[in-house]
Amino acid sequence: MTFRDGVVASLALVPSVFVYGTVFGGLAVQAGLTAAQTLGMSVLVFAGASQFVAVPMLAAGAPALAIVITTYVVNMRHYLMAATLAPSFRGFPRRWLALIAHVINDESFAVAVARSRPPDPWVYLGSAAAISGSFVGGVGVGVVLGGLVERPERYGLDFAFPAVFLALVAMQLRRRSDWLVAVGAAVLATALALVLPGNWHIVVAGLVVSALGALVLPAEESA
Amino acid sequence: MSRVWLVIGGMAMATYLTRAPMFLALARRPLPPRVRLWLRLVPLAVLPALAVPLVLVRDGRLALGWANPSLWGAIVVFVLAARGVNLLASVAVAVGVVALLRALG
Repeated sequence: MTFRDGVVASLALVPSVFVYGTVFGGLAVQAGLTAAQTLGMSVLVFAGASQFVAVPMLAAGAPALAIVITTYVVNMRHYLMAATLAPSFRGFPRRWLALIAHVINDESFAVAVARSRPPDPWVYLGSAAAISGSFVGGVGVGVVLGGLVERPERYGLDFAFPAVFLALVAMQLRRRSDWLVAVGAAVLATALALVLPGNWHIVVAGLVVSALGALVLPAEESA
Repeated sequence: MSRVWLVIGGMAMATYLTRAPMFLALARRPLPPRVRLWLRLVPLAVLPALAVPLVLVRDGRLALGWANPSLWGAIVVFVLAARGVNLLASVAVAVGVVALLRALG
């Protein structure tokens, strides 16, 4: 299996990743980020969900530390993917590894793991090239388009942020315990949002409810 | 707007910290099951913790009434995505519903 196989296996995902990037680019520019900031974030952070989280927080003037910590928590799932991918990359120069780590993403992980267990490093790299290219390309288009729309709230575009989060959750709910965790976090976060300043309810509710779930639920639900 | 770049830099470092350590350690042993379970549950808890207050809390107060367009949009996007409709299509329909309700309201 080769780099090329990884690219080809990812082609089905390229259009939706591109559009996801376009939507992000458009919304970020409308929320007040410059084109350079929007593209810079997409290259340097390169983690779509957390970028969607950060933009409305930035626009609302949330404290920098709250945004950074929220980003960290939203992206903690990378630990799982990195641990699964790591053994496949034994023998690669460390300098490469430090760079390859940066392009770990949900889509390429799914492609590589679906093809072989353990995942093939070159398939993974080919997929990461296709996915990162289409995401950043999409953001570039979005930055241009987003500048053309005036008064985005007229078109309900501000609602795209919570809508993306809700869609991401809805797609992941498989077990009854998943529902319990999601609903518990929603209730706790809403209650905290009414009393806590800033946006700390996100991190507090997210960490407390997921940790409770991990302590209470049967460990075999980790798959 | 150097504040935005500061935040982007912080986000980049925080995110690299979630990717690089396990990857560079070339971990031979898999993570303990409870830790794996916790890492799987974190997004399931964080995403609703983000989204639901954005929909239900307005100006520090609960907005549970049916006159809240975002509430309808939230129900639409959730039901569509839970039924396996593509993420972007679900979001687009919900955004349309919110825009329509705002125009009518």
